[in-house]
Amino acid sequence: MTTYKLKDLAYARSGDKGDIVDIGVMAKDDEAYRILKKYLTADKVKGFFSPIVKGKVLRYDIDTLNSLEFVMHNALGGGATRTLCMDQTGKAYGPNMLRMEFEADE
Amino acid sequence: MKKIRMGCGSASWGDMLDPAVELMEKGELDYMGFDHLAELTMSILQRMKDKNPKRGYIPDLLPWMRALLPIAKEKGVRMLTNAGGANPEQAGNDVLALSKELGIDGMKIGVVSGDDVGSRLDDFRKQGLKFVNLDTGEEDIDRISDKIVAAHVYVGSESLVEGLEKGADLIITGRASDNAMYVAPMVHELGWKMDDWHKMGTAVTVGHIIECSAGCAGGMSNFWKEIKEPWRVAFPIAEVYEDGRTIITKAKGAGRMVNEWTVKEHLVYEVHDPENYFMPDAIGDFSKIRVKDIGKDMVEVTGIGGKKRPDMLKMTIGYEDGWIGESEISVCWPDAYEKAKFCEAFLRGRFKARNLTIDDVRFDFIGMNSIHGPLSKMTENLEDINEIRVRVAAKTRTREDANQVRREVTHLWTHGPVGTTAVISPPPPRKVIGLWPTLVPRELVPTKVEMMEG
Repeated sequence: MTTYKLKDLAYARSGDKGDIVDIGVMAKDDEAYRILKKYLTADKVKGFFSPIVKGKVLRYDIDTLNSLEFVMHNALGGGATRTLCMDQTGKAYGPNMLRMEFEADE
Repeated sequence: MKKIRMGCGSASWGDMLDPAVELMEKGELDYMGFDHLAELTMSILQRMKDKNPKRGYIPDLLPWMRALLPIAKEKGVRMLTNAGGANPEQAGNDVLALSKELGIDGMKIGVVSGDDVGSRLDDFRKQGLKFVNLDTGEEDIDRISDKIVAAHVYVGSESLVEGLEKGADLIITGRASDNAMYVAPMVHELGWKMDDWHKMGTAVTVGHIIECSAGCAGGMSNFWKEIKEPWRVAFPIAEVYEDGRTIITKAKGAGRMVNEWTVKEHLVYEVHDPENYFMPDAIGDFSKIRVKDIGKDMVEVTGIGGKKRPDMLKMTIGYEDGWIGESEISVCWPDAYEKAKFCEAFLRGRFKARNLTIDDVRFDFIGMNSIHGPLSKMTENLEDINEIRVRVAAKTRTREDANQVRREVTHLWTHGPVGTTAVISPPPPRKVIGLWPTLVPRELVPTKVEMMEG
């Protein structure tokens, strides 16, 4: 069993559309991508963001870019125009996600 | 083989002007595109137009054109912008007048309209359209029907292409999609058929890569530490060949960088499902896209796919949805954290005592948790904190209640803990525009281009 810190394995950038926040997670290399693809599930991301994100979390893989796209619904307090959050457009969700730690059974 | 070079001159209302000027001067461009519109912007512009029929387009347009038109004329660069917002016709008139003032003769402007459907909503409903809210699934549009400010459809590039065919030096649109500003030149110059979905998928994807100005060139970047001169910003160029080969680059000598990582950062930005990137002109598929450094500040992009354009177009209805009142004040060492909590208790109690109608309220301790919220890691030595800025934001139904929220924060200056200070001037109450995104059949929203000539 190994515990990984996402910050060690990936970069991330995020943004909004309506009340959805997208986080693009870019693995630093091929091995990091293999680990992320296998263990960084949408469920784990949903669990991590559960105090903030109220809706479903979907994951899309872009193998050719070693990247995963997480699409988080009901994530921004109603969207940029009506949210009370200071991060109105979800720009800081990506860096926030880099705090995440997850386990791999290898 | 035919090729074109397109530069991006703006990604939003309020973007920087000087990188656009530098790019226009040094980019060896054929075209420059500009996006100035966000989801909220159309409602703001519509309200400006309602108050004054000569307004309602992006005010930046005139200073931008004043700086760029003479260079564009000299270099032979054609421009496309959606700065027309809620009033593209007036924008066209005013830029034409400006061109005369600048001594530019024979300027041709193509003004694209058709996206503004605010006056057609009842008509659409009579035809049986339901306006299901794409975000929430809600169908009861009647709930907001007397509060609607604006309704605009994200339209594609057909009328922009027509304007280029008619010789426009400048195309001004309303709510055309951001990337129509780039799709149109590719279609016009490279002879791409608008039903060649592979090519159109390439066009919308290339548009996506450069439309966010510095977004693919070191802006919002994880690699910010590599930037040696932070104040120098570069906007990107897409060089696109007839066969779809694409190189992303920047003007020689411009600041920052374009490399595999900066392009990749933008490819994963705000795209939802990368296999189905919905745009009015096509569905882009970048699930198999590849990026490769082929030189300094030159990235080759390959493997882009495309699918048939969607039959339905996105329409965003903006409606008035109450007010937000917000303000901030600072507390200091010693006991800054305890003082911040005292301020929160003070404000919660005051809002109740004043009977403010508050639908939602949020407190932030800036410096501790205002950006990452409940996921923030708290510092271990709370007693060492030098200062905290206490921020409150409350959603209210009336302007008066929103205003009272900020007044109560000001009271903390003299009725809060010792050392509470720096109230500065709080922002005025903010009118909230709710957005109701929905879909309409494409055939209900024809667009047209009208040519104006100087």
